[in-house]
Amino acid sequence: MASQNQVRSTGSGGAQSDPRAIISFHHVDLQYDDQKALADVTFAVANGEFVCLTGPSGAGKSSILRLIAMDAFPTKGQVIVRGMPASRMNRGRIPLLRREIGFVFQDFRLLEDRSVEDNVAFAQLVVGQPHRLIVQNVTRVLTQVGLYDKRHRLPRQLSGGEQQRVAIARAMVNSPKILLADEPTGNLDPATAQEIIDLLFRVNDAGTCVFFSTHDHEIVKTFGQRVLVIEGGRLRSDERRRAVDRRASLVDHMYRAPEGAAAPAARPARREPAHA
Amino acid sequence: MLNQSQLRYLAAESLAGFRRRKLTTGVTILIMASALLVLAALTLVTLNLGTVLESARGGLDLRVYLRDDVPAEELAALHPRLLAIPGVDQVTWIDSEAALVEFRRQLGDDAPLLELLDRNPLPSSYHVTFTAGARDPESVRAIRDEVAQWTEVSEILFNQDWVNALERWTYRFQMASLVVGLLVFIAAIFVISNTVKLTIASSARVIQVQKLVGATNAFIRTPFLCEGMIHGLLAGILAMTLLMACGRLLGASLGGMVFFSAAQTAGFVAFCVLLGLLGSWAAMRKYLALRSDI
Repeated sequence: MASQNQVRSTGSGGAQSDPRAIISFHHVDLQYDDQKALADVTFAVANGEFVCLTGPSGAGKSSILRLIAMDAFPTKGQVIVRGMPASRMNRGRIPLLRREIGFVFQDFRLLEDRSVEDNVAFAQLVVGQPHRLIVQNVTRVLTQVGLYDKRHRLPRQLSGGEQQRVAIARAMVNSPKILLADEPTGNLDPATAQEIIDLLFRVNDAGTCVFFSTHDHEIVKTFGQRVLVIEGGRLRSDERRRAVDRRASLVDHMYRAPEGAAAPAARPARREPAHA
Repeated sequence: MLNQSQLRYLAAESLAGFRRRKLTTGVTILIMASALLVLAALTLVTLNLGTVLESARGGLDLRVYLRDDVPAEELAALHPRLLAIPGVDQVTWIDSEAALVEFRRQLGDDAPLLELLDRNPLPSSYHVTFTAGARDPESVRAIRDEVAQWTEVSEILFNQDWVNALERWTYRFQMASLVVGLLVFIAAIFVISNTVKLTIASSARVIQVQKLVGATNAFIRTPFLCEGMIHGLLAGILAMTLLMACGRLLGASLGGMVFFSAAQTAGFVAFCVLLGLLGSWAAMRKYLALRSDI
């Protein structure tokens, strides 16, 4: 088993001291009762980055997301999100931090008895936006995810991919700085997963840092721009790729590209991440 | 500060439990109203016992019987001495002849028996009453003990026994009411807390989404607290209505029983609202503390 010393880190290192980091973990341990979930995890993510977090089930991916959302707090080490250290975080301020983080989950987590429009508007209502702005913002994000025409439908009247797009619209309506996506393609077929990943790239293009957690190696191989690999609660590697082919098709990759065939021609790298 | 959209949302959510779980909500209000009815009835009886006790205390007095062999001027000199005692309100002279007339009146048809006596056996006396502040057995007993030492006094009658008994029973009843009231208080909080927990459980997804998008705990909690308060309000009104209906039905046999004043009724209903608030608070506090969002 590889040790922590073997971690190849080409990402934004020096987590605690890097002023450009929007998320930084510095030698973080997390213990749940008698079980250690994370051990000595250190990494930093710059503003506007698209990061894939991968590893097998139970490796600690969700624990990292919980720490970023401050739904859990490190047993040891330091987690800093948007300049707010978890160790000095007042519980009353957590909701304010959450307003700067969007969440997307594998199971969508939509309110089944409310329309698409109301699901998205709910995120704005909760943070106290005036009605006029709610209408404007909901219209904008639903148009961006291509669901404005279906705004009056209930979630059960939509396909899985459409429901995930509603979830992304809800996550984006408050213009968060970070989008945490926990296995967002887990319940989707490859073609729909591709649509969702494209949408997440568009969100990232608009300047939002996307933290994409998945155990799907194909997605990581095809789209991972920066890949954090976690196993057994330890960060095994932190690799940044120079170029990611945004035209690559997940469907092609999974079903059509024969083993060992030449990869599609790479496009120039996306713009460099902006710093916080 | 909440805006108009948020207020509308919170108002709708506060009433959502009533719409979604009519039966559970109805049963909760009935159970709570029954418990509160017992509490209100006990409070009412305690209030009335207090009034009876106060009235009985008003009747506390002393009859100071005087010796036959003391000259009349010395007996007359006792009047200002009695009046000078702190707590004494009025002192009335009753001479032996007047006492005999009164006794004769009380005997009624048996009055001729008094003709068998060769002299008036009744002594002269003073009837002593007390100010409101001194109308308690302890004060009156102290005055009695002081006056009993005067040489002119032969005997003192003090109607303390039944007042003491009334006080003892009132105290016991008040203690029992307190215990029952405490039990009802806990039961009402428990009933409301469980109903609100049902509402919370059925709203788990909404709460989860609220927390994810940055709602404060206060915002999440408010509709549930309002729901608990509405439960308390309705149960309190129902309990009071039932108590008034019972009062009307039993009106004649209850005699001069005093009912709650408007202010007391409002106070009782406000107390029920507070119970509802505490019940929901208890349910929410635990839930928000335990719940994980991700």
